Amino acid sequence: MKRAKSLEAKKATPWSLVGIGFLVLLYGIPLVWLLATSFKDNREVFANPGGIIFTPSFQGYERIAEQGTLGQAALNSAIISIGTTLLTVGIGIPTAYGLDRSRGTLLTFGLGVLVLLQMIPQTATIIPLYRVLGAWKLLGTLPGVVLADTALFLPFTVLVLRPFVGGLPREIEEAASIDGAGTWTTFARIIVPLMSNGIATAASLVFILSWGEFLYAISILTNPATYPISALISQQISAYGTSWAGLMALAVVGSLPILIVFVVAQKRLASGLSLGAVK
Amino acid sequence: MKEVNARGLAMKKPRRTRRASYWLFVVPATVFLLLLALYPFLSLIWMSLSDVSAVNIVRGGWPFVGVKNFELIFHMSDALLALQNTLIFVAIVVSVGMLGGLGAATLLQAKGRLSAVGLGLMVFTWAMPPVVLGSLWKFLLLPNGLINDLLVHLHLMAKGPLWLVQGHLVLLTVALVNSWAVVPFSALVYRAALVDIPLELLDAASVDGASKFQRFVRVKLPLLMPITLILTVLTVVYAFRSFDFIYVMTYGGPGVASTTLPFLSYRLSFVNYKYALGATVAVFTILIVFVLAFVYVRATKRTEET
Repeated sequence: MKRAKSLEAKKATPWSLVGIGFLVLLYGIPLVWLLATSFKDNREVFANPGGIIFTPSFQGYERIAEQGTLGQAALNSAIISIGTTLLTVGIGIPTAYGLDRSRGTLLTFGLGVLVLLQMIPQTATIIPLYRVLGAWKLLGTLPGVVLADTALFLPFTVLVLRPFVGGLPREIEEAASIDGAGTWTTFARIIVPLMSNGIATAASLVFILSWGEFLYAISILTNPATYPISALISQQISAYGTSWAGLMALAVVGSLPILIVFVVAQKRLASGLSLGAVK
Repeated sequence: MKEVNARGLAMKKPRRTRRASYWLFVVPATVFLLLLALYPFLSLIWMSLSDVSAVNIVRGGWPFVGVKNFELIFHMSDALLALQNTLIFVAIVVSVGMLGGLGAATLLQAKGRLSAVGLGLMVFTWAMPPVVLGSLWKFLLLPNGLINDLLVHLHLMAKGPLWLVQGHLVLLTVALVNSWAVVPFSALVYRAALVDIPLELLDAASVDGASKFQRFVRVKLPLLMPITLILTVLTVVYAFRSFDFIYVMTYGGPGVASTTLPFLSYRLSFVNYKYALGATVAVFTILIVFVLAFVYVRATKRTEET
């Protein structure tokens, strides 16, 4: 009630409406063109790439269907991102808990290391990872990509999850231990369920990030038949004379899972992102 | 309150043993990161001091060459250009990304359907795979693509520029597209911080006769300083690491016009198979990033204390 009355939460002024309208166009138009171009035929795209009035065509989608790699690529993407999400969140939950509750030096040191790791450019880690995964005979395999992606996103995941543990009062553990529950039982039976909101947030974020990851995929996977969709998109564009309609169709198909996650978890994404950045 | 304290005292002994076991929860991540982050990291440093080629990269047993690779890098014109490009790129992405984010966050505070649509579109854009966004912008920026069509139709230009072909324009173009992609993130962070500003404070200022602009500059901006500091470092690091958009949109070209340090280290290693030189550029990049990390940790500490 108080909020509605306040000066700052007032309805938008005409000028701010113009500004918001500009934002909507700036972020909406590219998406509209992505979708529109995927339904054009190649001649039309070539003659007038900026046009919006056209006869719909499924040429682009037919083309990617003919290549026959789409189903496999979608499966590879799913294996990589679901595998990465499970592994990252599975390791991340106990880590966030242990770090938060141990306080003191371990917390400071742990957070410092995680922040540092998060800052290393991916192009720097792929060079030695190539060697390490090679030594373990994991080059060219999807588990190799899952391990690399997990190492990439684990620091971020722990940083996102930690504030969700910090928000739980310590009295929970005290009460549980009075009831005779050990540390592990308390964690598994009480803490993890209470963290479900944070876990859902972290899982959606990691899924999105690993679905879009392509540098590790193109470097670790030697055979393009094992490429995920993101890697396939990254390779299509470098070839001269790109079939834009086909590429856009591939991009639309490759963005559908993101759309689903977005629809389910929009609020979580918005809050999780700012939380992980700051806390 | 008192009861809890008393209980805490009485339980001192078991509590201490329980506290001691918390580190066990960190073991899986520690082992994992030792194997797949720390070991590769040390291996990278070792590589930058050795002679590593396609022949011995996986097999190991690299001959030690000291700082020879660093000497080679410092005399390589591509590396100096890449450093220069990186600094320009980072400067553009950080300034446009941060100002754009603050502007968008301020606008999106307004209630209403249009505002919700704008916020939704931005969050969705953030979530889209970078390869998709990069490919999409490459398409929109074609010589006869949508952007140039708009410029011509709005009579802003007789003929649109060759965004991704003209040498001096390419880096700017990719940096702007990358800024567009990072604005949703900084807008979300700023928006969360703006929501946290007590409304009483702003109302008090307006009762004292402060205009909207004065309230923004005198009340909001100072309160946003800590978050701005953190966000700046995060954006600098993001821009420094940026690789996806360059790879998809220009592949570092034309020539080396849009090659940044991360892209150079990738190209040297995985295109030219000069792994040692690629590793050396990577180590050099990490050194710069770690200095930034130091600033970040200091900044977070300061905000946690306040």
